[in-house]
Amino acid sequence: MMQSLFNTLRLTVKELRAIRGDKVMLVLILYVFTVATWMVSDAGSTEIRGLSVAVVDEDHSLLSFRLTEAIRGPLFSDPHVLSPKAAAEAQTNGEYVLVVSIPPKFEQDLRSGKDASLMVLIDATAVAQAGNGAAYMQQLLGDEVTKYFQPNDSGAALVDVVMRNRFNPNLTSKWFTSVMQLMNSVTILTLILAGSSLIREREHGTIEHVLVMPVRPHEIVFSKILASGIVILASSVASLLLVVQWAMGVPVAGSLLLYVCGAAIYVISVGSLGLLLASFTQNMGQFGLLVIPVIIVMFLLSGGITPMESMPAWLRLVMKVVSPSPHYVEFAQSVLYRGSGLSLVAGNMGAMAAMGAVFLAVVIARFRKVLAN
Amino acid sequence: MRADTPRAGAAGSWIAELSGVTHRYGGVHALSDVTLNVPAGCMAGLIGPDGVGKSTLLALIAGVRRLQSGHIQVLGQDIAKSAARRDNAPRVAYMPQGLGRNLSPTLSVRENLDFFGRLFGQKAQERRARIEMLLQATGLAPFPDRPAGKLSGGMKQKLSLCSALIHDPDLLILDEPTTGVDPLSRRQFWELIDTLRERMPNMSVIVATAYMEEAERFDWLAAMNDGKVIASGSPEALRSQTGAETLEQAFVSLLPEEDRGEDQGPVVLPPRPADGDGPPAIEALNLTKKFGDFTAVDDVSFTIPEGEIFGFLGSNGCGKSTTMKMMTGLLDPTEGETRLFGETLRASDMKSRLRIGYMSQNFSLYTELTVRQNLELHAELYEIAPDQRAPRVAEVLAEFELDEIAASMPESLPLGIRQRLQLAVATIHEPRILILDEPTSGVDPVARDAFWRTLIKLSRDRGVTIFISTHFMNEAERCDRISLMHAGRVLEVGAPAEIVERRGAATLEEAFIDCLQAEQPEDEASAPVDLTDYGADRSGQGALARSFTRLWAYSWRETLEFLRDPIRLFFALVGPLILMLTMGYGISFDVDELSFATFDQDRTPESRLLAEQFTSIKQFTEKPEIMAPADLDRRMGTGEVAIVLDIPDGFGRKLRQGQEPEVLLWVDGAMPFRAQTARSYALGLLNQFSDEIRRETGVQGSSVNFETRYLFNQAFKSANAMVPSMMMLILMLIPAIMSAISVVREKETGTIANFQSTPVTRVEFLLGKQLPYVIIAWTSFWMLGAMGRWVFGVPFTGSLPVLAGISLLYVCATTGFGQLVSSFTRTQVSAVFATAVLAIIPTVNFSGLIVPVSSLQPVGRMVGLSFPGAWYQPASVGTFVKGFGGAELMINALVIAGFALLYLVLSVLAMRKQEA
Repeated sequence: MMQSLFNTLRLTVKELRAIRGDKVMLVLILYVFTVATWMVSDAGSTEIRGLSVAVVDEDHSLLSFRLTEAIRGPLFSDPHVLSPKAAAEAQTNGEYVLVVSIPPKFEQDLRSGKDASLMVLIDATAVAQAGNGAAYMQQLLGDEVTKYFQPNDSGAALVDVVMRNRFNPNLTSKWFTSVMQLMNSVTILTLILAGSSLIREREHGTIEHVLVMPVRPHEIVFSKILASGIVILASSVASLLLVVQWAMGVPVAGSLLLYVCGAAIYVISVGSLGLLLASFTQNMGQFGLLVIPVIIVMFLLSGGITPMESMPAWLRLVMKVVSPSPHYVEFAQSVLYRGSGLSLVAGNMGAMAAMGAVFLAVVIARFRKVLAN
Repeated sequence: MRADTPRAGAAGSWIAELSGVTHRYGGVHALSDVTLNVPAGCMAGLIGPDGVGKSTLLALIAGVRRLQSGHIQVLGQDIAKSAARRDNAPRVAYMPQGLGRNLSPTLSVRENLDFFGRLFGQKAQERRARIEMLLQATGLAPFPDRPAGKLSGGMKQKLSLCSALIHDPDLLILDEPTTGVDPLSRRQFWELIDTLRERMPNMSVIVATAYMEEAERFDWLAAMNDGKVIASGSPEALRSQTGAETLEQAFVSLLPEEDRGEDQGPVVLPPRPADGDGPPAIEALNLTKKFGDFTAVDDVSFTIPEGEIFGFLGSNGCGKSTTMKMMTGLLDPTEGETRLFGETLRASDMKSRLRIGYMSQNFSLYTELTVRQNLELHAELYEIAPDQRAPRVAEVLAEFELDEIAASMPESLPLGIRQRLQLAVATIHEPRILILDEPTSGVDPVARDAFWRTLIKLSRDRGVTIFISTHFMNEAERCDRISLMHAGRVLEVGAPAEIVERRGAATLEEAFIDCLQAEQPEDEASAPVDLTDYGADRSGQGALARSFTRLWAYSWRETLEFLRDPIRLFFALVGPLILMLTMGYGISFDVDELSFATFDQDRTPESRLLAEQFTSIKQFTEKPEIMAPADLDRRMGTGEVAIVLDIPDGFGRKLRQGQEPEVLLWVDGAMPFRAQTARSYALGLLNQFSDEIRRETGVQGSSVNFETRYLFNQAFKSANAMVPSMMMLILMLIPAIMSAISVVREKETGTIANFQSTPVTRVEFLLGKQLPYVIIAWTSFWMLGAMGRWVFGVPFTGSLPVLAGISLLYVCATTGFGQLVSSFTRTQVSAVFATAVLAIIPTVNFSGLIVPVSSLQPVGRMVGLSFPGAWYQPASVGTFVKGFGGAELMINALVIAGFALLYLVLSVLAMRKQEA
């Protein structure tokens, strides 16, 4: 037992040295956890922020001017006022998600008690933002029209709604995307790092050598997962603290220790998945083609990009059974934002651990059979 | 052309003239100030131990390594000039070191030769005739369709030779062509060279070899040591110069004093003490191993007593390695069993592994660890007690003379020293049994003798049983007993002298060859053929046609290799479809089933009416009501409830009094997109509620109507936008990862030598390799498009030819991106890693998949626009749902084409026709 543990640790040291020796990999890991994390977190997300808007003002009234003025950040970018033709063209080219069209005599009609229409044209190919963007725009313009005509009458609204966003009061997307990007990086790097460590040994013939030594398959497998796990976990935690928390100023509500534990479980189960994929492929060419779809599915369908609730029920179930990523997203949200304790996230941690255990079991069972050929 | 080739015999006729050539790798001198003239029209040999610079010298002459300093003239041309190398390329053939290293293992014999023919721009007819002739001459004619990877070592080398001769070279450069080949094949190989030289008298040959007895047949020799030429001349001249009987002795006496080592005389095998009473160290009982239909080892039995050195001989691929692997427990036999010291060996048996030291045929230690670290790791894994580890490592370092290089990386060491390190590792735990699979293959004679002295010491002094396979007859003679194996069966077992006697042969080599010939079917032997001189009549062919043929050579080979790897092909074609299916269904921005609960502290009809508004729509799924503030905190904390309507006490009263009561809406902000959507639903519902109350109370509301029009996607279906965007993502990542290994794989397997030593240009090479991937990716485009149209029902409103055209440009760019990464990296692992990391992040985040490029922050937008994806996404979305045609997408098409071109240019710049 002790010997087995020692063997695993020794092999782990060997794996760590191998990672250290690969400069390309080190540079890429550094890039992913610093520049890429910052860039992705900063650039934008599915929530409405700085949505590109154009206004077609055919009224040229004080009201239409007020409405144009009202459209501003953080939800919308400062609108460009365009001619109808130019606006239509620009929207077709994808330059604006929303175009607000104020018809001639808009203010006059309203003053004379007639019904008047504001038109909001929505580029519905921007599905992530069009719906919410349009709803906000209507709300904003409606309020503005009311304010314009009844500047002193606060009784227009019957109910005063106070919005309280818990855990992320201003709905700052950085808070969310930065952590999701960390998960994405961890997934990409761990899958490839763990998987390729196995394929490289096979391609270089060193695995044969390992197999004649008095080490058991599980010691080899554990050492590979441990080594890539340590590297990725350490760099992701460093990235969380230095890049996300310190440089980008995202507050972390929960216990860091708990987060590290959960992240460790995630890294181990993803590492096992990487080895599992590698055990089904013979060379790097096959592995690359297999790992890319896995990465994309694990990331895009984790609940980190679109809510799990909007996936069809069957797919949601499949994802929750085969992929640790949805559990990790839930876990990370709970711990980092909601400050949840162990009792609340134990289920997610258990699910990730169970998946990791299954992947590991399959890898170890297949190990000798696959590699001896 | 060939008229101006200098001929042998004439004064000053040299095929290669070197002066002051120095070559360094890092700080290490491979060649120092070499000045040498190699005579033309004859067989010239380079001899010397491993790592003295023979391979470097040949690679420089062949033009595959860049000349660092000094001058080299080959075929009368100064090869420092690239124009001269271009002129020389069709006249020189270079066969690199390593069994069939320049061959493509999955291609058949004929396909490999076709590939080489095309590389030299030969037309189909000429190629066919030449291949026929060469196959006849080398005895490969019966196996034109066998994959090169399944040939025996000797046959691989014959095929390599055919490939080298396909273009009728004036200069043939062979780097250790017979290393690791059995004696019969070796003899056949040299006979073949002799025959060919008779037929092609103009051809000059330069060979490097570590086999001194082979060097005897050369016309001219240069002996090398430590990066310098120490003597040159005919074999007779060298022998008489030193007064030695054999070349081997002559070579040793030519060495400077300090390199000669102590003259320990010939290796002698002291007699073995009589067998003890114990069980035999190794017993093989009717071992059989089958791989599918192929029987690699057929009913092999033998017994090896403790302390014996047992030699294992046989041609490559005859089952030696497989048998040895069954001895170590690496492979489980199909039938039969192995016993070590009387105990049956099981694969999972850790105890028996401690008794075995194993050295595999290829170098299998960790190249990322230093010599000492390798030894230490093994000392630990083989359970040497902690206090004895350091002394044991030191002892082994001293014993195998590795002290000086303890801190070096194994890759930087010459083969002979690496083999010594492997043996050191194999013996570190003082095993009772050593199983050594061709440990001395490729090792020079001096190092081999030293190696054997160690083995004999281990056997005689420590009683270690040694089971060793070898190709060297003089090594076989040093064994206590040997066995000859062929085609999976053991033909002979006995003491070397016994076998020689039994076969009635003069030497062991003859006995062996006799044994093999008896087994070999008649038609495998080479038949004498008429070697017609197909004078290079390429005048009728334009330069462009030849260029195209060369490009096609690579396309065709890449295609065949791809088709022969069905798993890769399957992933490449089916992977995108699966990805599209899951994403098409999975990515949806319709937020449904938001978990919602009310926290009604008012409990009036008005508060209930408000709550009912919320539970009436399908987007909210109602959860049990919240009863207390603590409940609210807890349930939002677990994420069980995402949105809570909190109605304070007094709501109904205030509303009735027109006091504008407050309600609180708690929203889980952990996922901003969901929070915003929930909020916009809630706002809508509250407006509705206000309208309803107003209607009841008769208050007039605002009279502004909003007309919202969803352009391009009236139904506002996620799939209509996601499917075309997913095409952008998939056609970026899959083709890039596919082509990412194309170039770097050649670097790793060594087939890159073909690119370096033949007239193929960088552009031809890159485009040729890219073409098959472009076709596969474009096929993928059609399949994905069809799936989007008919499975997901996305309308197609624009111009199909325009989309097809832009997609073609796009896959050229994306495969080009993969190839660019491939040209820069050194290993397949880092190529895949780099491609995935560099491509995924901008494509997923900054190319319009989720967030429109127009709504990105400046940095993200810039990163997005510097990849082709952000330019393709508007084209695929536009042609699908916006009715786009050529006019709208002209710019996009041009930019994407620009990317394709840019990637190609950068790849060309990154590729080197010569190594450093």
